[in-house]
Amino acid sequence: MVTLTINGQSREVDAPGDMPLLWVLRDHLNLVGTKYGCGIAQCGVCTVHVAGKPVRSCQLAIGDVGARAIVTIEGVAATPNGSRVQQAWMENAVPQCGYCQAGQIMSATALLDSNPHPDDSDIDAAMAGNLCRCGTYIRIRRAIKEAAAKSA
Amino acid sequence: MKKIIGIVVAIIVIVALGFAGWLLLGRDPMSFAGGSTVALEDYKGGDVTGVPTQLASADPVKRGEYLIHAADCQACHTAPGGAPFAGGFAFNMPFGIIYSTNITPDKQTGIGKYTNAQFLAAVHKGIRADGEKLYPAMPYTSYTYMTDDDALAIKAYLFTLAPVHAPAKRDQLSWPYDQRGLMALWNVMFNRDERFRPNTGQSVQWNRGAYLAEAMGHCGECHTPRNLAYGLDNHRKFAGALTAGWRAYNITSDKDSGIGDWSDEDVYLYLSTGHANGHGGAAGPMGEATDNSLSYLAPDDVHALVAYLRSIPAHGSGLPRTVTTPAPSSHKEGVAAAPDSRGEKIFAGACASCHDWTGVSPVTGYATLTGVRAVNDPSATNVAQTVINGVNRKTAEGKIFMPAFGEGYSDDDIAVVANYVTARFGAKGAQLTGKDVANLRKQATQKPKSQEAPDG
Repeated sequence: MVTLTINGQSREVDAPGDMPLLWVLRDHLNLVGTKYGCGIAQCGVCTVHVAGKPVRSCQLAIGDVGARAIVTIEGVAATPNGSRVQQAWMENAVPQCGYCQAGQIMSATALLDSNPHPDDSDIDAAMAGNLCRCGTYIRIRRAIKEAAAKSA
Repeated sequence: MKKIIGIVVAIIVIVALGFAGWLLLGRDPMSFAGGSTVALEDYKGGDVTGVPTQLASADPVKRGEYLIHAADCQACHTAPGGAPFAGGFAFNMPFGIIYSTNITPDKQTGIGKYTNAQFLAAVHKGIRADGEKLYPAMPYTSYTYMTDDDALAIKAYLFTLAPVHAPAKRDQLSWPYDQRGLMALWNVMFNRDERFRPNTGQSVQWNRGAYLAEAMGHCGECHTPRNLAYGLDNHRKFAGALTAGWRAYNITSDKDSGIGDWSDEDVYLYLSTGHANGHGGAAGPMGEATDNSLSYLAPDDVHALVAYLRSIPAHGSGLPRTVTTPAPSSHKEGVAAAPDSRGEKIFAGACASCHDWTGVSPVTGYATLTGVRAVNDPSATNVAQTVINGVNRKTAEGKIFMPAFGEGYSDDDIAVVANYVTARFGAKGAQLTGKDVANLRKQATQKPKSQEAPDG
């Protein structure tokens, strides 16, 4: 049994320690907002927050999580920046097909948590690992800037 | 005039003799310890060869299984994706390619017809059953220290394997290296053909470690630099060398270049698991050595290896002192790479999600770059190789994985990202070019250089 803190709740999971967090989220806990993409940390769709940092959950074994708190797309609206980012996403109609968007929102929120007013270069550095095959990058950048403008 | 010629000749002779003596002294991997040695049967300290006590009464096959792991026969005698021990692994040397051979008990293409004496001749002297000489890619100058009992236990284990029909691949060596007969001369120079002699001035643990490191694990074959004749130069024992396109690091007790600053526990963990926090993880050939060999050793044997390694004299090899402080969390701070450099862009897209801009991975200690030797090596050899080949190790703790970027990224991309990583997280940025990366790929490849390579 592994105990994980996910979106503020303590969850007991009956899974081996080397199972990736993404598997546990989707198959054990039915938190299917986090998507599976490449499986090798090269696309960003499986991004969640671990102790506030954006982490690719396909590469993080649950045995390595320790006491660090996890936030997924299901819980990110409860954070000030998460809620701002989601609002800006809707206002800008950012998604096209939407598959990558949970990961985009998690990376964008983590960026604003560590850097409330990012410039273009900061956005590039933080978001470069999140691919969008529909090419919504321009709207993503705009939405991040709007969310930042609304924060104090 | 005659007198001058005489003096010149005398000087040449003295220099030649001195050089020969220096070479001969350099061929003994354990002479650094000084003191006196005795024949194994005269040693009173205890058992330093063979298997650990808990296996001592096991049958030869079981003992052979432990010892074949200790001697790491599998890594070289298995082609990537091929049947274990069926050979075909390529050694890319400056003078051509040598392939390992099939050591399954197949009677036509393997060692199925080898007698005990023939097997011992191959292991101790580098002589095949047909009398031809092996190339020292087979580390018989190390295995020569192995006892007959241990070598024959390995043979007993090998003979329980299913025979695999796998004819030897033809070596691709240039003249004069394709003349196997010349190895006779080389053997006189570099193969002592002598079994392990315990050192009475050292502890039993040290002697066990020496046996494991020299006769079995043959650490020096990668970690000791070679001389012009490709013999191991034990004047610089374990001071590090470039082998198959990867840097085998300095593992002497030098504090900057070697492992003098590592704790015993770190060395123990690195050897037994291929990873020690703050020192990174083994990849490439050392990853294979860990997964095929060192991880199978009993804890006491790994402790013995640690004790032995600790006694290796410090030998600096010019590596800068490892940087152990993380880089700043903003990509704009820290070692100034050109802003928006191509290396930084590639790092942002492909690397930062696991390795972080600080170098301290939020995912796993295996992915932390801070403090890792490869990252602090200004040649960036192993950084580039790891980027090209990735890491794909299965350990007791689970899978250790990094994607191989070699197929998707160009030589120039890999060069600039390796330069960026060493500059940002290490002691000194590398200056690799795309051409260097192409060269590194070639040295580590397991594919023939050309599909149309002429036969022979």
